[in-house]
Amino acid sequence: MRVLAVIPAYNEEECLADTVDELSRTCPDVDYLVVNDGSKDGTQSVIDREHMRAVSLPVNTGLTSGFRTGMKYAARHGYDAVVQFDADGQHVPSYIPKMARALEDHAADIVIASRCLDGSYRLSGPRGLGSRLISFLIRATTGTKITDPTSGMRMYGRKMIDLFAHGFDIAPEPDMLAYVASRGGTVVEIQTKMRERQGGESYFHLGNVIKYMSRTCLSILMFRFLR
Amino acid sequence: MIPFQLRLILVAGALLAVWIVARQIRKNKMLVEDAIFWMVTAFVLVVLAVFPGIATSLAQLLGFMSPANFVYLVVIALLLWKAFTNSAEISRLKAKVTELAQEIALAHMDEKDGRTDRESR
Repeated sequence: MRVLAVIPAYNEEECLADTVDELSRTCPDVDYLVVNDGSKDGTQSVIDREHMRAVSLPVNTGLTSGFRTGMKYAARHGYDAVVQFDADGQHVPSYIPKMARALEDHAADIVIASRCLDGSYRLSGPRGLGSRLISFLIRATTGTKITDPTSGMRMYGRKMIDLFAHGFDIAPEPDMLAYVASRGGTVVEIQTKMRERQGGESYFHLGNVIKYMSRTCLSILMFRFLR
Repeated sequence: MIPFQLRLILVAGALLAVWIVARQIRKNKMLVEDAIFWMVTAFVLVVLAVFPGIATSLAQLLGFMSPANFVYLVVIALLLWKAFTNSAEISRLKAKVTELAQEIALAHMDEKDGRTDRESR
């Protein structure tokens, strides 16, 4: 199985080199593609210096578009699976082969690296509350149980690669999980651990959490009734 | 009755709108297809002002307190319609811009790959 790790990077000069280095040392069989989403810092010079496999967008287009660029690349180069991998060092690459195995074993469309599957860890604060609300909504509208819908580490199978490469308005976000589950796609989770971010600035302060939550929840409900 | 002053304002506003739009078109700052909405809107306002009977009878028919209220409703409806079509158009443009950015980036990458392939050969 050919697996591609898509690493969206926007102003990630601090961590990108370490992240890619760890990934290619831990998983030599996994190809990676850095998507430089119009960074304004030295991300591009890090890419050039380390001779990374990368695609560089001429303007900043947002995480969704950056990730979808990677999905187009995967679709055109015949990859069997794509893993969404953060540039900031939160994600642990040794889980990628386990996710690939889960994808094959369950003939799944999406495998989520969950922090909360075995109950040993609970997200705290507004993020935890938001995450549980999204879990509840997905379960109520699709019947699928997802313990960590906001986990940013997800693996997608062939069908999902095509959907992301060609679909309209498909984002690597929790509402997409609900959409896929409601269309009869298989979404499974495996238990993993994640690290704290190794640098850069977290996007999740309270204002953004509220914005993100209302967008996600409304989108899940609208997906349910409109699409 | 529509107050005479309101009728004057409607005509003056419509003429101003036509003038501004015409200037934009002449300066190549607006597409004719986008100007049509404003021309038609100006025309509707002039008709309502010149023939107050239309607003008066429609207002009565629909149970408005006064014909002026009916005129306001027409204006608001036109603006809401424009706001909605603008929003839809912006959505489409956003999708196209990201699509173009992605294709440029991927094409650029292929080009670079082709170059290094040739060099290493």
